[in-house]
Amino acid sequence: MNTDASVMHDAHPSSPVHEQDAQARERSQDELIMDLERDQIVAATSRPVPRATLSSRATAGLWALRVFVVLVSLMVIYTFIDQLH
Amino acid sequence: MATPEVTASPGLALPPLTEEDTVRSWDRSRVHRARRHSKRWYLLWLLVGPGILAMLGENDGPSMIAYASDGAQYGLGFFVPFIAVLFAMAFVCQEMCMRIGAVTHRGYGELVLQRFGRLWGWFGAGDLTLTNLVTLVGEFVSIRVGLAYFHLGSGVAVALGLALVLFTLSGGRYWRWERIVLGMALFNGLFLLAAILVKPHVGAIVSSFDFTPFPGGSFNTLLLLLASTIGATVTPWMIFFQQSASADKGMTPDDVKHGRYDTAIGAVLAAIFGIGALIAGAALLTHNGAGIQGFAGAGFPRALAHVAGGAAGTVFALGLIEAGAVAILTISASTAYAAGECVGVSHSFNSSPRDALVFYAANVGVALLAAAVILIPGAPLLSIALNANVLATVLLPVSLVFMVMLANDKGLMGSWVNRRSTNVIGITVIAFVGLCGAAYGIDSFLLAVHLIGS
Repeated sequence: MNTDASVMHDAHPSSPVHEQDAQARERSQDELIMDLERDQIVAATSRPVPRATLSSRATAGLWALRVFVVLVSLMVIYTFIDQLH
Repeated sequence: MATPEVTASPGLALPPLTEEDTVRSWDRSRVHRARRHSKRWYLLWLLVGPGILAMLGENDGPSMIAYASDGAQYGLGFFVPFIAVLFAMAFVCQEMCMRIGAVTHRGYGELVLQRFGRLWGWFGAGDLTLTNLVTLVGEFVSIRVGLAYFHLGSGVAVALGLALVLFTLSGGRYWRWERIVLGMALFNGLFLLAAILVKPHVGAIVSSFDFTPFPGGSFNTLLLLLASTIGATVTPWMIFFQQSASADKGMTPDDVKHGRYDTAIGAVLAAIFGIGALIAGAALLTHNGAGIQGFAGAGFPRALAHVAGGAAGTVFALGLIEAGAVAILTISASTAYAAGECVGVSHSFNSSPRDALVFYAANVGVALLAAAVILIPGAPLLSIALNANVLATVLLPVSLVFMVMLANDKGLMGSWVNRRSTNVIGITVIAFVGLCGAAYGIDSFLLAVHLIGS
């Protein structure tokens, strides 16, 4: 792509060479984009997906799991430090 | 970055293409050609990668040492079938990651952050960074153990690990990175060779599938072995890595079948090579597990050389170097994907370092940080390496819960949502992992504060 762009800069914008390059570039871009799914292109994946709505029970469950995991992790880290001594 | 506006047909505006899109479309065009011309094996060759890398990447230095230690202390009974069951569990989890990545074209961290909010996204990334950093220290330790067998020191281990990270990142293309790491990962088979070299008793291996009751030892030892063996098979980094890598590779729903083959091949190879390390370690059983205590030096390979011959020791030492090196690359990559996804900037091997600065900086940065730790004189490297798997097991349930929630999200997955049977297995895995991790954490803590006796 960059090579094409540099060739384009060398030719006069209205010259036949420029038009051929532009057509070739456009054709090549069309081929490139056809090999990708539309929602696979970076411009599409850069758009965030909408936020999910969690029920209050699901949110409470996730918080309970998170607090539990943090507590157990602290226990493992404490044990690790204790074993070093 | 080249971002030309392109139009496929007059009047139909297409989004701007980035350099990342261009590079990915080259890879996709080969997949489309192979599919059009019904080149089945070539298509498989093109689509394998993330699954094998996740599975063989998890057969890392600390994991192989854990398997070998299990073999050296307890023999083959219980652990041979247990490792096989754990990799079957890993397949179920990793298949979900691959499917989510192929259908949504987005990484795990990105989806959790956007779908459930920044708080949960950053919690997940925090868990991952912590376990990855600790595990990476273990990887450098295992390279050091392998190199020590050849009388080489920590400096060489650090230089080798960092040189590999920089070399594989230099191409600016996912395909190149994946193929180099895949080529290296196949040398995980050295553990199978080590198992053959110790000349195991075939009858003992076959009879181990009777699922012998767990060997003797304290309740805490049993929990430690369960937690560390689970942590050697399923970890948070694998979830982040395979989903992000599947998206980065450009996989689509059409590729899910091959993604399953890829994940299954990885699981089978990893189970065989993991059992290979167990069998090699079991050669030390009759010598009371000699060599485990020498983990910080070249103890294990040396002990194996003493018991089973120089070739077995050399192959095991080379295997440790390979296991550590491959894991450094895959674990650094998972950290880089998570960092790029959470910050919301370019996170692809198909982007140049200039366009994906955070991604490349996190990739190199986390490896540098881990390398710096092993150069600290007197650092408790042995304890860090052995506790890495346990910490991963304790933190894993949260990642698994979000993964199952994403895989059941009809808004994201459409008809690709989990089947009922997959959910049952997934929830069973979460309960099992959570129970083992929590039981070990609580029991060890109560022992440490002397609230219960050993």
